[in-house]
Amino acid sequence: MHNESHGFFRQLPSALPGLSLIIVTMVVIRLWVEPWMAHTKVFGMEKPLTDAFHLNYILLGILCGLLYRNVIFGGKMPEIFVDGFKLSRLMIKTGIIMLGSLYTFSAIVQLGSMAIFLIGGFVIMTIIMVLWLGKLFGLDRSMTAVLANALSICGVSAAVATSPAVEAKASHVAYAIATILGFGILTMFISPFIGHELGLTDLQYGAWIGTGILNSGQVLAAALAFNPNVAPGTAVSIAEIWNIMRVISIPFAVFAVTIWYWAGKEESDSSGKKKTLGTLLVEKFPVFVIGFMVMVFFTSMGAFGDVGIKGGPPASETIKTLRLVMQWIFGFGLVGLGGFIDFKELRQAGGTPLKLGLIVGTTKYVLALVVVYLIKDYLVSI
Amino acid sequence: MTTQQKTGSETIGAAGPKSKMTLFKDDRAEDIGAIILTVLIVAVIVLLKMK
Repeated sequence: MHNESHGFFRQLPSALPGLSLIIVTMVVIRLWVEPWMAHTKVFGMEKPLTDAFHLNYILLGILCGLLYRNVIFGGKMPEIFVDGFKLSRLMIKTGIIMLGSLYTFSAIVQLGSMAIFLIGGFVIMTIIMVLWLGKLFGLDRSMTAVLANALSICGVSAAVATSPAVEAKASHVAYAIATILGFGILTMFISPFIGHELGLTDLQYGAWIGTGILNSGQVLAAALAFNPNVAPGTAVSIAEIWNIMRVISIPFAVFAVTIWYWAGKEESDSSGKKKTLGTLLVEKFPVFVIGFMVMVFFTSMGAFGDVGIKGGPPASETIKTLRLVMQWIFGFGLVGLGGFIDFKELRQAGGTPLKLGLIVGTTKYVLALVVVYLIKDYLVSI
Repeated sequence: MTTQQKTGSETIGAAGPKSKMTLFKDDRAEDIGAIILTVLIVAVIVLLKMK
C-alpha cells in the first residue's frame, strides 16, 4: 500500500525547485527570446521564426518542457523537479477560470449554443465510430470503452474517468492515453500552420481545434500558438468555450459508454458496477467550470470594469492586468505540460488501439475543419 | 483483477500514484485549489488597481 497521506501543503516546499525552473524558463522566453525572434534576420529573411514557423512563447514553452525531460534529463525528470511540474495542471485550470473575465453571459449563450451543437454531434459520432471499429477490429471491450471516451471528449481525463466503470486495466488506460497524446502532440504543432495557411479567422480556428483536438491542454496550446493574445474574440476565447462544453459532457459520456459496456456482459457479472447518471454527475463533474461561470458572472456584472469587446469601450486596467497575468500563468502551465511528454512512454502506443485511435482521431480532426468551413457564415463572433 | 484508478492519477503511459500529474489528492481537489488560487490572484489585482 502506498502512503496517500501527503497533503498538498506538505508537498508544496518540494515543488519549489521545479516551479522555479518553469518560471525562469518562461521569463527567459518572454523577456529575451521572443523579442530577439521578433527582430532577428536569417539568410536575409525578416523574422523567419515568428513569421514562417509561427513560433511564440507558448510553443517555445512546450518545447522547453519537452527538451528538459527527453533530452537534457535523459528521458526522466529528476526527482527534485517532479513535484513542481505537477503544478502545471493547477496553473492551466486557474488560467481557464480567469478566462471567464473575457465573456459576458450573452457572449457565453451565443458561443455556447454553437458549441453544444458541434461538440454534441462530434462526441456522439466519435463514440459510435469507436464502438463500431472496436468490434470490427476485435478489440477488447474495456479497451474499446476507454478509447471511445478518450477520443470523443477530453483525452486523459475521460480515459481515467471511464476506466473504473468498465473494468479497464492499467495497460488499457496507458494504451489509450499514449495514443491520444501522441496524436494530440502532432495536431498541437501542425494546427497553427494549417490555420494560418488556410487564412482561418480566430473564430473559425477556435471552433475547429476546440472540436477536433482531443486534450484540454493541447487545445489551449494550439489556440495560443495561433494567436497568443488573450482577449474577447481571440482563438483562445473561442476554443475554451468549446473545450468547457466538452469537459462538461464527461459524466454523460462515461454513463453512455458504461451502459454499452455492461449491456454486453452477463447479468451476473454486473452487480455493484453500474452507476447512475446522478452519481456520475456528482463524482465526475469538473468543478473548476463552476469557478469559470462565477468569473463570467462577475464580469457580466461589471465587477472588473469594461471587458473591451470590439466596438465598445476599451478594456479597464483591471481586465488588462488580469489578461497579462493569464498569459503568464498559461505560459508556466504549458512549460509544465511539455515536461510530461515522454517519448519513451508514447512508444507504448501500438497495435490495434493505435490504428483505431489514428483513424478516429484523424477523421474527427479533418471533419471538424470541413464542418467549421461549411458553417462559417453561421458562426457568430463575440 | 481490475485496476481501480482514482480520478487525478492522470498519467502519461503509466498508472499509479508515482506518475500522478498533480500534487492534489484527486481532480476534484485540484479544481478547488484552482478556484482558491484564482480568488487570491483576482483579489490582489483588484486591490492593487483600486489604489
